[in-house]
Amino acid sequence: MARPSDPQAMTPRKPGSTRTAPPQVPDDFWTQPRMRTYLLFDATGIVYLLVGLVALRVAWALAGGAPVWDALLRSFASPGYVIFHVLALISAIFVGVRFFRLFPKAQPAQIGPVKPPPPAVLHAVLYAAWGGITLVLLAVFGGIWP
Amino acid sequence: MADSGELRKRTFVVTRFDPDKDQVPKTQSYEVPCRPEWKVLDALNYIKDEIDPTLSHRWSCRMAVCGSCGMNVNGTPKLTCKTSLAEYGDTVEVAPLANFPIIRDLVIEMDGFMEKFKAVKPWVIVAKEKAAEEGTYRQSPEQLAAFKQFSMCINCMLCYAACPVVAQEPDFLGPAAIALGHRYNMDSRDEGASERNEIFRGEGTVFSCSYANECSEVCPKHVDPAAAINQSKLLAVIDWATSFVVKREK
Repeated sequence: MARPSDPQAMTPRKPGSTRTAPPQVPDDFWTQPRMRTYLLFDATGIVYLLVGLVALRVAWALAGGAPVWDALLRSFASPGYVIFHVLALISAIFVGVRFFRLFPKAQPAQIGPVKPPPPAVLHAVLYAAWGGITLVLLAVFGGIWP
Repeated sequence: MADSGELRKRTFVVTRFDPDKDQVPKTQSYEVPCRPEWKVLDALNYIKDEIDPTLSHRWSCRMAVCGSCGMNVNGTPKLTCKTSLAEYGDTVEVAPLANFPIIRDLVIEMDGFMEKFKAVKPWVIVAKEKAAEEGTYRQSPEQLAAFKQFSMCINCMLCYAACPVVAQEPDFLGPAAIALGHRYNMDSRDEGASERNEIFRGEGTVFSCSYANECSEVCPKHVDPAAAINQSKLLAVIDWATSFVVKREK
């Protein structure tokens, strides 16, 4: 079965004399298995919005002085925040992997005289850069380096 | 001729729309004795020839070249001449391509598509034609390889039926049209890239694409329109930035 699509979808700007029924999409357009990855990708936007709000809370706490800051750090140890941060980490990894998978084919065959490297090399560079930056950040925030 | 033991009865739930009688499309079911080797198109032709001659659907070549027989089969855009019934169970839903106005039954209106198609100037643009005595335009295999994949499109419009952006943004140029424009932008004989990039940045912009990649998933010719669109995004930005440095003649 089907439901209406945008009534203007794929209609000519100047309607002709042909009588038509409005465009439709299948009822399960958004729930078909092939759309799940895309919808999950879109849904991560909600997680990032929440991460942004938490970042604002962190900035607010910084301005509030030591007691407020300590209270914030204690609240981060609560199960709710731990689950949220794990969810944020999974979202970031999911979006990163999807982006890295699709990135090579988004590169034009040639820009002026420059040609992109083969997809396998691009993948390797992206994952190496990701891993490297993660290690540096872990070292900085873990107090190991500098 | 195979015996009837090889036949399998399937129910086809087919969208019907008669502009003289119906306000909105409805569905009608047909019982079809299907042979094992049949494609979806064979079953539709059986319905038309043996059960209900009023059913309207488009088809021509039966070998996935003409792009006429695109329909939604169980919700997924498919070329019905290339889609084996062995992939499906006892019930098969056949509907016109999603996101297109319906003229009758399974026949969609293509005028909106043709407008978008023309909008990207799908021809080789040169500032000055070569005189005949100067010889033909030559192209190396490497130069051909830069765009050949994008020239394999058969205009079947499955990509438009699969695209979540087309379903919501009527102005979006859409996968096949952008892939075709990109095909000419990558052609070494063409000098019209800046004209097309201006179109790509304008109304129906390539930046509407959210890279769902659905167009490439359903493309029966492996054109990979999602690649073309996302390559066009980068080239359109480079072209825009370059326009501040290099003066262009109108």
